[in-house]
Amino acid sequence: MFSKLFPERLSSTWRLGLLLTVLMVGSTALCITVASWTMKRNLSSIARAVVLDDLGEYAVLYNRNGLKEIKDVFAAGGHENDQAVRITGSDGRVLFEQIPIAVAGYRWPDNATANLQPSQTLLVTVEHEKREQQLLAGCQVLKDGNILWFGRTDAEDRAYVEHIRDDLWLAGLVSTVFMLLPLWWFVRHVLRPVQDMMKSTRKLAEGNTDARLRAPNAVPELQAFASAFNTGLDRIDALTTELQSANDNLAHELRTPLARIRGNLESYHDHTDNAAARDASARGLEEIDRAADLVQTILTTRAGEHKALKLHLETIDLREMLIHLHDLYKAAAEERGLQFTLEAPDSCPAILDRQRINQAIANLLDNAFAYTPKGGAVTLALSTTDDQTRILVRDTGPGLSAGDLTKIWQRFTRGSAASANTPGMGIGLSLVRAIVHAHGGETTCQNRDDQGAEFSISLPIHRNQPSPQPNRGHS
Amino acid sequence: MHLLLVEDDSELARQTSLWLNEAGHTCTWKEKGNAALTVLSTEAFDAMILDVGLPDMDGFTVVEEMRKRGFGLPVLFLTARDNVTDRVRGLKAGGDDYVTKPFAMEELLARLEALQRRSGLTPMTPPSRTVGKWTLDPIKRRLVCRDERVELQPREWTLLEVMLANEGRILTKKFLLEKVWDIHFDPGTNVVDAMICRLRRKIDSTGSLSQLQTVRGKGYVLKAFP
Repeated sequence: MFSKLFPERLSSTWRLGLLLTVLMVGSTALCITVASWTMKRNLSSIARAVVLDDLGEYAVLYNRNGLKEIKDVFAAGGHENDQAVRITGSDGRVLFEQIPIAVAGYRWPDNATANLQPSQTLLVTVEHEKREQQLLAGCQVLKDGNILWFGRTDAEDRAYVEHIRDDLWLAGLVSTVFMLLPLWWFVRHVLRPVQDMMKSTRKLAEGNTDARLRAPNAVPELQAFASAFNTGLDRIDALTTELQSANDNLAHELRTPLARIRGNLESYHDHTDNAAARDASARGLEEIDRAADLVQTILTTRAGEHKALKLHLETIDLREMLIHLHDLYKAAAEERGLQFTLEAPDSCPAILDRQRINQAIANLLDNAFAYTPKGGAVTLALSTTDDQTRILVRDTGPGLSAGDLTKIWQRFTRGSAASANTPGMGIGLSLVRAIVHAHGGETTCQNRDDQGAEFSISLPIHRNQPSPQPNRGHS
Repeated sequence: MHLLLVEDDSELARQTSLWLNEAGHTCTWKEKGNAALTVLSTEAFDAMILDVGLPDMDGFTVVEEMRKRGFGLPVLFLTARDNVTDRVRGLKAGGDDYVTKPFAMEELLARLEALQRRSGLTPMTPPSRTVGKWTLDPIKRRLVCRDERVELQPREWTLLEVMLANEGRILTKKFLLEKVWDIHFDPGTNVVDAMICRLRRKIDSTGSLSQLQTVRGKGYVLKAFP
C-alpha cells in the first residue's frame, strides 16, 4: 500500500530506509507532544501553588509590620528576577512596587478585587502584548484594606519544557539510527543476495547456461532457494549434455553400419560387369548417401530444437554468403528454366555458424526450386534494419494453404502442394527453424499478394562494437 | 604409400585395407589408440587414417599425443560426427583432413593423395594444363584452342582445377561441394549436377565422348583422352 507513495525506480533499500525514518520521526514527534502537554499541565499547577505560597508569606510579613517589613525584605535582596510584588490601596493607587525587568510591561488587573473579602486570594493570568510568557498574578486583601499583589512569569517553566523537548528529539534521533540497524542487516542478508540472484537469472536468460545463483551471506531461506534452483539448473545442464552425447552416439551407431554397407556395395559396384547389377548398386549407393544425410538432418534438427546444437560462430559477410549461394544455384535454376535473382545491395557483417546458416538458406532455396514451375522466378533477398537481418526467399509457386502456414515448420509436415514428384520428407523446413532458433532468430512464411510464397529468416545482429547496455557482456 | 589405419570397426577396417591394397598402397591396421601410438615408433608410415571414436581414447587425443612425441606424418580423420565444431577441433588437435562416414573409397584416396602432395612426400607434378583440345589460361581463366576461346566463370574454373588435380578419379558430390564451394552438406537441389553439365557443354567438342562423365551412385570423373 505504501508502494504507490514512492517513485517507481526507487530501490527497496531507500524505500525501507525512508519509511523507517518517517515512522521514527512521527513517533518521536508524538511522544514529545504528549510529554510537553503533560509537563505544561503539571508545571502550571506547581506555579499556582508557588504563587499562593509566596502571596501568603508576603501577606504575613505585611500584616506583622506593615509596608516597612516588605521594603526591608527587598532591601536585603531576598527576591527573584521573575517575581513581582506590589501593594495598592483599595482605590487602586500604587503604594509599593517591586517589578524586575523580566516581569515589566504587564497590565495588572484594576478592579479584580472588588468582591474580595480580607485574606481571600484570587489568581489571574495576564498576557503580555509583546512577549509569549504569561504572568500568573495573585492578589489578597490585607488587614488594613490595601491589596497585595504577587506575580510570577512562566519563563522558567517554558525554558524547562524546551530543554526536555530538545533532549527528547536527540533521543529520537539516536533511536532512529538504531532502528536503521535492522535495515542494514536486511540489505546485507536479503536484498543484496536477491539482487545478485537477479543478475544471475538475467545471465541465464541471455543464454549463459553456466550461470548459477550465489548467496553466501544470505538468510538460510534464500540459501535454500538458491541451492534448490541450482540443482534444477544442474539437472537441465546434465540432460542437455546427455542429449548431445546421445546424439553423437546415435550418429555413430547409425553411420558406422551405413559405412560398412556402403563399402561393400561400392566394392560390388566396381567389380561387377553386369550392367543391371551395376545400376542397382549405383541406386543403392545413392539411397545410402541420402539416408546418411537424413540421419544427420534429423539429429541436427533435434539438437537445435533442444538447444543442444553446437554452433561454430564466426564473423562473415552475409551478402557475400548469399552471392556464393546464388552462384551455386544459378546453374540448377537455368536447367529448370527458372529466373533466379539476388537482391542484396549492402554488405552485412554478422556473427553466425556459416555452414548451418548456409544450410538453412539452401533448404529454403531447395524448397522454392522444388515447388516453382518452369518459367517461374525465385528471389533471394537480404534486408537489414538496426537490430536484425532478414533473408527472404520468394517464389512464384502455388503458395501455401491456410493450414500450411501454421504447420509447415513442423517435422515431417509437407506442404499441401507437395506431390509424389517433389522430393523431400518434410524435414527441411524444421531443420531451417531449428538452425535459426539456435541462432536466436525467427522464421516466418506468408503468401505473396500476386503469386507464390515468401519464407524468411530473421537473425539478430550482434555488432562488434561494445554493447550500449553496460549490464550485458559480463559473463 | 604405407599407411597406418586406426579403426575399431573390424568390417570397415577390412574393407578399407582391401581398397587401399587394390589402389596400390600397403597398410597396417590397429584397433586402439595406444596400439597405434606404439606402432608409430617401430614402423615408418607415410600417412595415418584415424577414427575419432576409438574404445580407449578419442582420435583427437591420439593426434595430440603423437604430435607431442614428434611424429609429423599427415593425419586423416575418419568420423561419424559431422559438424564444423568437431572438424575444427580435429584440425586444431593437429589433424590434416576429415572424412565423415559413410564415405566413398575414391574420396578417401583423393584426400590421402592430396595430403601426400602437401607434405612433399611425392614430388609435385603440376596438374595437367590441358583438357582435350583445350589449353588452360590460368591468368585470364579461360580455355584456348587456336582461335577459339571459352570464358569460364570463377566457380567453373575452380571445379575444373579440382577435377584436373584428381584426373581419372571418381569424385563424390560431397568432395566437390567442399573443395569448390566450401559447403559441408548436400543441398537437395542438384546443384553440382547442373554445374557439371554446364562445364561439360563448355569443354566438350561435338561428336566425341564427353571427357567429364557422371558415374551414377559414385560421382563425377574427368577422363583424359589421348
